[in-house]
Amino acid sequence: MTADRKAIPATGAPARADSGPVRPHRRRLPHWSHAVLAPLAVLWLTPLVMVVGLSLLPTSNPGTTALGMFPQEPSLGNYVQIWTNNPILRNLVNSLLVTVPSVLLVILFGSMTAFALARLRVPLKAVIFGALTLALILPMSSIVVATFKILQAMGLYNNLAGLVLVYTALGLPFAVIIIRTSFLAVPNELYEAAMLDGASKFSVYWKVYLPLSRPALAVVAIWQSMSSWNDFLLPLVTLEDNTLKPLTLIPLAYRGTFLSQPGALFAILVLISIPIVVVFLLVQRHLVNGLSGAIK
Amino acid sequence: MSDHTVQKHTAPREWLAGTLFLLPAIVLFGIFVIYPIVYNFQASSLDWDGVNPGRFVGLGNYTRLFQDPIFLTTLKNSGWWILLTIIPQALIGFFLAMLLNEKLRGRAIYRAIFFIPAVLSPVVVGIVWQRIFDPFNGVVAKLGRATGLDFLVHGYLADPKTAIFAAIVVNVWMWTGFSMLFYLAGLQLIDSSVLAAAKIDGAGTWRTIRSIIWPLLRQTHLSLLLLGIIGSLKTFELVYVLTEGGPNHASEMLPTYTFKQAFQLQSVGYASTISAVLLLIAVISSLSMVRAFGSGFLTGDEK
Repeated sequence: MTADRKAIPATGAPARADSGPVRPHRRRLPHWSHAVLAPLAVLWLTPLVMVVGLSLLPTSNPGTTALGMFPQEPSLGNYVQIWTNNPILRNLVNSLLVTVPSVLLVILFGSMTAFALARLRVPLKAVIFGALTLALILPMSSIVVATFKILQAMGLYNNLAGLVLVYTALGLPFAVIIIRTSFLAVPNELYEAAMLDGASKFSVYWKVYLPLSRPALAVVAIWQSMSSWNDFLLPLVTLEDNTLKPLTLIPLAYRGTFLSQPGALFAILVLISIPIVVVFLLVQRHLVNGLSGAIK
Repeated sequence: MSDHTVQKHTAPREWLAGTLFLLPAIVLFGIFVIYPIVYNFQASSLDWDGVNPGRFVGLGNYTRLFQDPIFLTTLKNSGWWILLTIIPQALIGFFLAMLLNEKLRGRAIYRAIFFIPAVLSPVVVGIVWQRIFDPFNGVVAKLGRATGLDFLVHGYLADPKTAIFAAIVVNVWMWTGFSMLFYLAGLQLIDSSVLAAAKIDGAGTWRTIRSIIWPLLRQTHLSLLLLGIIGSLKTFELVYVLTEGGPNHASEMLPTYTFKQAFQLQSVGYASTISAVLLLIAVISSLSMVRAFGSGFLTGDEK
């Protein structure tokens, strides 16, 4: 099967399970499935179009909207306003300061754990798996009081580093499961050959396994970015200073103010969404392969 | 033979290396996962405001919980949530995955459109859908007025009878793309020769899907089922933003109720009890699924 696919001259595109012989006669007409997919896509897009549309409401007099989505006189005034009147840049930086380190740490620690579980003989594997599963199902709300107390005791209350550590810990189970599946797909002979050549375990992990598992790492990166960037329960209860708050807290914190300026609220929602959507679009092509445990 | 002796000789060193690889995860887990769980169970035995020393009440909080009508509401809502998110998300997600697994113009764009809601913050999704359901300015109500479909002109989130179902609709919009992605990943693992063989045997599309593809995706169904159950039980943010569990607790979920008890009513002991019960329900559901179906769907192993 695999040999079959390899026999086809490589064109640079990764081999896919459904790529059979080319069927040129199918290429001309739009496929019937567009008739189903297009209306569904419009339905799915509507809320997204709406949030962008409403962010363009004029600041002074919102006026009327078509379909509740499109302002009669669109303006960029809200974006100008939130950028100048609020310390929104500060909040944006805070979100980044939490998200980027937690993504890097979860990839590092998660892949180290995955490597040990996939390729090394370590004691208590079953216990470790049990703990991972427990953490996977653990609701944040169940540990939020304790986390609050621990962070206080560690001197990390009202501190972004505290959030990074908690997000990393809670992100590890998913990371380990996804990366381990991908590591298991790396032929064991590769590991044995490298070890016979005298490579250290760490360098095999770092130079062979990590680069081969890029699709899996992409899945972990987007997942961890989502959970760190989007969370607001933990910042809500562990951050006091307004200068430390991440972007997600702003819409709720100033809900009252926004009643008179709906456009500004929606502009902030757009601002919260753009970075994470960009990250998603960047890693999108790896996602399906990464989830199925494929390696490259 | 010699292989064996070499391995035996290196075993302790390998254990050491393995432990070093595991160390960061173990430390973080100990502090931020295991300890909080123990702490939470301990706190559930106290009458405690979270600041002053608590008073030990044994299982008092638990007996109180089981007589609490709001607890019953949260269980009912979780049940609806599990039923009405997992099934539609799986069916629509599978359907989309089948269509978008084919070579198709615009395939990447479609995939992105359906998945983007899942990457958005619940804060964003919640506020946007509040507006959509707004009986005055919302898209749904405007559509209702324009078309004369009066039932659409209704504050679905403000009506205790419909609030939880409106929230569920939002959740389905948000997470269906996630199910689609899981099914796309699952479809990658199906050997195309199996499908070719079915075609040669004269199996039609519907029959191929029903008797070959759907059963072969067993692991994916199970993963999504478990993630769906756990995700439903855990639901906090979306409901908190959409309705705050209201009106009058009508759309309360276990985590929103915990949050209210802990941070608004300063009833930390009771909040910990709700959390403890939630965690027990989650553990029991997961364990029974692993018991019934093996753990492969969870760990990604073949069997």
